[in-house]
Amino acid sequence: MKITRRTALQGGIATAAVIAAPSIVRAQAKPSAARTVRAVFHGDIPTYDPIWTTANMTAYHGGMVYDTLFGIDGKQQPQPQMVGKWGVSDDKLTYTFELRDGLKWTDGTPVTSADVVPSLKRWAARDGGGQHMMLRVKDIAAKDAKTFTIELKERYGLVLEVLAKTSTPVCFMMRKKEAETDPMQKIDQVVGSGPFKLNLDETKPGTQYVYDRNPDYVPRADAPSGIAGGKKVNLERVIFVNMPDAQTAVAALQAGEIDFYEVPPTDLLPQLEGDKNIKIEVLNSLGNVGQIRPNFLHPPFNNEKARQALLYLVKQSDYMKASFGDSKYARTCPSFFGMGTPMENDANTDWFKGGQNLEKAKALFKEAGYDGKPIVLMQATNIAIMSNTAQILAQELRQVGLNVQVEAMDWSNVVQRRSNKSPPDQGGWNLFITWSGGSAIGNPILLAAHAATGDKAWFGWPSDSLHEELRTKWALAGTPEERKQIAQQIQANAWKFVPQLYYGQWMQPAAMRTNINNLLPVAEIIPWWNVTKG
Amino acid sequence: MTAYIARRLLSMLPVMVLVALFVFLLLHIAPGDPAAIIAGDNATPDNIAQIRKALGLDEPIWKQFLVWVSSLVRGDLGRSMFWNDPVTTLIAQRAEPTLSLALTTLIFAIVIAITLGVTAAAKAGTAIDRIVMGFAVIGFSVPVFVVGYLLIFVFAIYLKWLPVQGYTPLSEGVLPWLRNLVLPSIALGLVYVALIARITRATMLDVLAEDYMRTARAKGVAPRHMLLKHALKNAAVPIVTVIGIGVALLIGGVVITETVFNIPGVGRLVVDAIARRDYPIIQGVIMVFSGIYVLVNLVVDMSYTLLDPRIRY
Repeated sequence: MKITRRTALQGGIATAAVIAAPSIVRAQAKPSAARTVRAVFHGDIPTYDPIWTTANMTAYHGGMVYDTLFGIDGKQQPQPQMVGKWGVSDDKLTYTFELRDGLKWTDGTPVTSADVVPSLKRWAARDGGGQHMMLRVKDIAAKDAKTFTIELKERYGLVLEVLAKTSTPVCFMMRKKEAETDPMQKIDQVVGSGPFKLNLDETKPGTQYVYDRNPDYVPRADAPSGIAGGKKVNLERVIFVNMPDAQTAVAALQAGEIDFYEVPPTDLLPQLEGDKNIKIEVLNSLGNVGQIRPNFLHPPFNNEKARQALLYLVKQSDYMKASFGDSKYARTCPSFFGMGTPMENDANTDWFKGGQNLEKAKALFKEAGYDGKPIVLMQATNIAIMSNTAQILAQELRQVGLNVQVEAMDWSNVVQRRSNKSPPDQGGWNLFITWSGGSAIGNPILLAAHAATGDKAWFGWPSDSLHEELRTKWALAGTPEERKQIAQQIQANAWKFVPQLYYGQWMQPAAMRTNINNLLPVAEIIPWWNVTKG
Repeated sequence: MTAYIARRLLSMLPVMVLVALFVFLLLHIAPGDPAAIIAGDNATPDNIAQIRKALGLDEPIWKQFLVWVSSLVRGDLGRSMFWNDPVTTLIAQRAEPTLSLALTTLIFAIVIAITLGVTAAAKAGTAIDRIVMGFAVIGFSVPVFVVGYLLIFVFAIYLKWLPVQGYTPLSEGVLPWLRNLVLPSIALGLVYVALIARITRATMLDVLAEDYMRTARAKGVAPRHMLLKHALKNAAVPIVTVIGIGVALLIGGVVITETVFNIPGVGRLVVDAIARRDYPIIQGVIMVFSGIYVLVNLVVDMSYTLLDPRIRY
């Protein structure tokens, strides 16, 4: 066969077509870049089951693919979401709910009460708030395909709040098939009824999670507010990109390779603020509250005086300055319920108003009978704010004569070691540092760390019967005013027995390209409905 | 030769058994709890204990080891504790970016390093030689991530010539594929360039001082021909050895480079797995990397026979 220029050209074109074909097909299947958002968050999604884990990334995933019966609006009030009509009996013991029309799972089947009942039961088995409610629940039953009831043994004022909450695990509804799974086993199949659906073909676990608009989703007619109201989706696709390196994420945002970055480091904010293509927004105005947890099981913090000493010792402004500079995004937090939350108050905050008092702290440690044994403080070196906080705390403790042993480790290590109840010199600990979302801190029932139930409590195992009595009273209160009053009593008592103390409160600003608009400010979840690009 | 290869392959077995034992013990002795990470920060101690039980982490270590080894001998590397996907599937999904990066880095490093090494040897003692060796020292000393960030700043942010991060599969076109690999390959390849350039220069200088080189020069062989055909070929065995040994450097560097450039390869897979203590993935990837390293060394040993006919196995 004779090779001519013509045959060579034809062969070349044919080869190029064969090589290019897959990319052409893929390009045609992809939504346009103008309706696709690539977003980078604070971490990776550890599992798809938002009931099994309390990890926020899984709640973000859940917010995309699942829906909730109620949602918290921008004024922190519960509003119906999947529920259409609802009512409560005169004796306030029976709540009746009716699902709204048009709800469908992504497999095409309708959402029914038969799905809702096991979903509620599975979630309540895992969630602190759900467990608290279930202690008062006589029965949850499906009455017909769209109606279900929650029957109570005694009045409980938090039913709607608990169903609507955004703190993890969020009360997402699942298909009966998945919802009937043992609450202790995780679900790997993702079939939701939310505004997006997970595109498993394009998703690569650990790398990127692709969510396409759910064409069957019928949003409410109301205006969006918080995670309540109409979840109208304006984008075709949202891609959660897992990018662990902050420098790379910031560079990618500047280069326009991603559209949104949830947690730009504070020291890189000036660099981003100077870029005309980038804007910075605070989406969660309640932010995070930094917590220092003392261990109630071992000296010296098994003594109330030693825990009180910490209140006089910790100068929150120093901690915030160390991690945020003179940032407008950080502040001090004397309220047990966080600043800016509905339960914020200033009961028993003289320790804060008087400023740091090292002499008082020293005296209280002496009263507590501190004997010079090393205080084991766990320092998570891979999380900047926790690492900085541990260093300052160690220095402040040393200033009042304590023998501090800082144990440097990564966060994975901290979460393992903090469950160890042994004495500090046998693998246990005295102090560790963490944080919680402001909205969760603001609710005495929904945050596991607020319980003071001793052995059953969160790490640190605080124990105080009055605290528990007041929490229950708060949950049963009939009006917001009554709750506020009880919150003051809780705080007055909490700053006496000190289950935990705070090192400040900060809002994490998110950075995004200027063409990303209408992100809803919500605590703990980032909603991608309502968002526009361009 | 066949008997030699068979012997070498058999000798891999005890090596892999030792690797398996060490990897498993080190991971399980090291602190960290995947159950606590899966459960999330708000989880209660009871929730974490339930997850630990569900994952089988409450079983004695020897029992966990036996379960893992019995799967391993059947070619099953286990399943991710987080995703429940088979580790082999996860590695296969991530193999293309890593192989692509390794390939482009090797080509870049070998071409540049041998050119630099030969040039430095040919111009030994001159300014060119000193510049090349100075460059090699810098290449050795500057960490991969620093080079990576500098390259990103200059070529992606400032000049906007290349992308900051990510990976485009080869099936989407050669040019997009290459565009994503240029910066990571340079960042990762620099230390490799330094290593190979130094050994090339040193070996070439030794060979150039041999009697037969003097004879060739006296016979009027052209300098270029003498350098590339006579000297380089005779210097090839140590150079190839260093390239083989350097694969370990490459594997270590891939882990960092893939993180800096957000390349969804096996390196990123193992970094993420370490942060989460996803034991089956860490164990599986280390086993695969160890196997590759042993095989590369076997290939290097076999290549000696091609480079030097006097070598026989």
